[in-house]
Amino acid sequence: MRPAKENPMTEKVFRPTGINPALVTPFDKEENIDEEAFRRLIRFCLPHVDGLVPCGTTGEFPYLKPQENRRLVEIALEEAKGKPVIAGTGAESTKKAIELTCNAKEAGATACLIVTPYFLHPSDKGIYQHYYEIAKAVDIPIILYNIPQVMDAYLPRRVIEDLADIPNIVGLKDSSGNLTYTMEVLEYVGDRINVLVGNDEVVLNALAGGVHGVILASAQVYPEVWQGVVAALKAGDLEKARQLQRGVQKLSRIFCRLGGGVAVKQALKMMGVDAGIPRKPLKAVGGALIHEDRAEIQLELEKLGKIPSSDREHHVPDGPVAERFKSLGLDSQTIAAARMKCGSAMSGEGFEAIQIDLVCGSKESPLGEVWAYQLTYPHHGFEALTTILEPNLTVRPSTLIVSTNELKDLRQANMIYGPVQNAVAKAIVEKLAEGVIHERAMHHDVMIVQAAVHPKALDRHALHKNAFQASLSAINNAFGEVK
Amino acid sequence: MDWFKGVFPDLVTPFTKEDEIDEQAFRELIRFVLPHVDGIVPNGTTGEFSFLTFEEKQRVIEICIDEVRGRIPVLAGTGCPSTRETLELTKWAKDAGANGALVCAPYFLKPAFNEIYDHYKEIDQVGLPLVLYNIPQTAGVHYQWWTAEGMGLAFDNVIGISDSSGDMPFFMAVLEKLRGTIAIFCGHDEIAGAALLVGGDGVILASANIIPNIWQEIYRAAKRGDAAFVQRRHKEIQILIRLVARKGGPQATKEGVRMMGLKMSNVRFPMIQGGEFEREDYEDMRTQLCNLGKIPKVKKRYAGIEVDYMATSETPEQLENLTLCVGEGFAGPPFSEIAHIDLLLGWKDGPVGKAIERALGEPRPGHELAIIRERPRTMLVPTVTVRGAKAKQLVYEDAVSGVNLAIDHAINEGTLPSALLDDLCMITNLFVHPAAGIRQRVKINNYKAMRGAIRKAIEGRPTLEELVREKEAARHPFRYAP
Repeated sequence: MRPAKENPMTEKVFRPTGINPALVTPFDKEENIDEEAFRRLIRFCLPHVDGLVPCGTTGEFPYLKPQENRRLVEIALEEAKGKPVIAGTGAESTKKAIELTCNAKEAGATACLIVTPYFLHPSDKGIYQHYYEIAKAVDIPIILYNIPQVMDAYLPRRVIEDLADIPNIVGLKDSSGNLTYTMEVLEYVGDRINVLVGNDEVVLNALAGGVHGVILASAQVYPEVWQGVVAALKAGDLEKARQLQRGVQKLSRIFCRLGGGVAVKQALKMMGVDAGIPRKPLKAVGGALIHEDRAEIQLELEKLGKIPSSDREHHVPDGPVAERFKSLGLDSQTIAAARMKCGSAMSGEGFEAIQIDLVCGSKESPLGEVWAYQLTYPHHGFEALTTILEPNLTVRPSTLIVSTNELKDLRQANMIYGPVQNAVAKAIVEKLAEGVIHERAMHHDVMIVQAAVHPKALDRHALHKNAFQASLSAINNAFGEVK
Repeated sequence: MDWFKGVFPDLVTPFTKEDEIDEQAFRELIRFVLPHVDGIVPNGTTGEFSFLTFEEKQRVIEICIDEVRGRIPVLAGTGCPSTRETLELTKWAKDAGANGALVCAPYFLKPAFNEIYDHYKEIDQVGLPLVLYNIPQTAGVHYQWWTAEGMGLAFDNVIGISDSSGDMPFFMAVLEKLRGTIAIFCGHDEIAGAALLVGGDGVILASANIIPNIWQEIYRAAKRGDAAFVQRRHKEIQILIRLVARKGGPQATKEGVRMMGLKMSNVRFPMIQGGEFEREDYEDMRTQLCNLGKIPKVKKRYAGIEVDYMATSETPEQLENLTLCVGEGFAGPPFSEIAHIDLLLGWKDGPVGKAIERALGEPRPGHELAIIRERPRTMLVPTVTVRGAKAKQLVYEDAVSGVNLAIDHAINEGTLPSALLDDLCMITNLFVHPAAGIRQRVKINNYKAMRGAIRKAIEGRPTLEELVREKEAARHPFRYAP
């Protein structure tokens, strides 16, 4: 530990406020810091923010060496055009945290953001002493940092109460999202230090509750939304603020809960800002951020207008129902000759409208062969799925669902696998219970359902509802409404 | 109290179709466990005591006392949320002739430790031998060891404590403080053998409804210090007892009891069949009971011939139409290594055989088909495009070895009769997630998914009744946005 000066703690005028992005750290393929990418990222978001936060949790700080930490702070300072740079300098041990904080001060950082010590869990006294030693050793404004999601422990309010008396402790970032904690902290220290919300899901709530600013992962993706929330609140337009928060609620949730910086990097990449890959053991995708959720990010960015919405063909089969199964190798003569039942129905409006075409026939008929063949033929974009209420609850008569539109990505596939699958299954069971589909058919027949879902369908709930209605009608249509 | 030792099953409570206590099935269950156990526990957690009315709890205790006729002790569950009601039921149980009362911590509202202490103090004064019952998983209150110690030492009628927490350090502390003063029981199936070996006096277990004899073997071996026997036998039942302890105790136990041929209802709402005890767990439990010899082979008519078949009550009387049988199987966790199989089974000269031969003649770039065995002829179809060497290994080596294991198992079980293996064929359409990594789990999950898929294809499950019952509550995991 460097020798501490005799009580250097001086009152600082700096108070953290406004919109501050917790910057990701771009790594290249060899996992080295991509300095150019980091500069581009800062230039991308700087116009909309009030300060920069390099080496935070989103910046994968525990994976950085001290010299890397310092380098990132230096770059941020070079690019910041005079805006405050709040350097993340937290560490497991007090000694290392002091070293990082010293480095940041030497580099010229405005303030430091320091997490509670992690891995080994000190007592409240140990936590107090940690911050006290750092504040005493380094003459720089310090922001405390509560993030129980990764620390597995809260920074106790009573400790903060005492820490707030140390002159160069100027703020607290609370990423917990636990508003009862935030309000409690505001109540006790809100007049002495600035409290910043660090949880993207509750920004409006926390701001309305009185916090002084934000440090957010999403503030490098949609900082202008947060600017809008702040402005709307200031103008007393709560309705407008709610709209803005709600518009980014799902994306914020994905960033907060499904991979943090990893998810942010994927979003930035989609927006044309290459922020590289994460360091291992984190995976760019397929780890905490699964492929399905990445697809969801794309959708949400489309909605926000951050990326152009991909125009895809939507094909809805028309003409006589019996003519609609040709791509499966079933023509109307075969259907008629084997006395298969056909039905079709459409339900809903807009992107969530759906058309269901179905054909049902005996296992012994040519439909049996077509059915079996479909399962051997998973051609990309048109994979056939068996119909299930949920995994391990397969409906009978055994039913395949095939999309009429090519499924180009997982997010499109997810609209069928899930909402449509469950809706068709539920409709079949409903009609079995009513006797419209005879119980005997459960073991003697098979069925194929073609689903025409718009490639831009977004709302799973509406799609499920429409798919259920369309399936009920199509079944009535095919089997006759005889009870 | 010298009767409080050994193996006590925490009896499930059977209900009739009208949702009344099914006395006949309950008596049958008691007769089933009685030869192997040292006492019984009516109105335990597994007995769904929290779903029973006061009068029903009384009835359950009465039936037990009447059925055992003094041959073994009856330790009646009498714990209620309030002291007042617990007192009332405990007094009643004493008058009815129960040998002791098993009282869980007052639950839902969270009393402080001194309130808990005083609660038990009042119950103790009833005068019925009292067993303290620590089950924080459901009661929401974990005794501190000093609470248990204080009650064990100070109260006149406390004869034991049963700890279902599974918290071994807690168990050791209680053992250190109270061994020899009161009996120390373990109520957590997964660690019961270990608890007996370190000096526990007995066990109160859900799984002792299903395998009372095995628990008696383990108890006796532990008492004579035969650790090697305890370890070996415990390993044989570990999967089964893990299912019971973690996957919805009462329903899991009831399913197991029913699979062995006893009459047994499902749990009361809001617990449901196919809920916490999932359908894949059902298949798992069935396999475990087959392995333990608890589901014997019976003669079944099967596609025109007679075969030996490890059937459960769900197996239809006759298995005739094998034109095109569809079975689906899903197994996890973990998420990345989940397995999902769509299985087609049928005659080689039927639609399934024709589809196989036709598909083999066509290229499937990215979805290379593979014949993975000949008896029965089985074709593998990867559901999603296989990209890269890792995915290839996971699909064509690990998943395939799991699938083959399941087929071997099905042949042994009788689900795929040896006599028909040359005439049958299968298409197994198999999903391995692109993010999968753990090879062993890919193998095991595919084994499980395939095992379930074969049984369901052959037995035509789920049935109409099951589908109708579950259509509203079914939760498709991908139906909802993140």
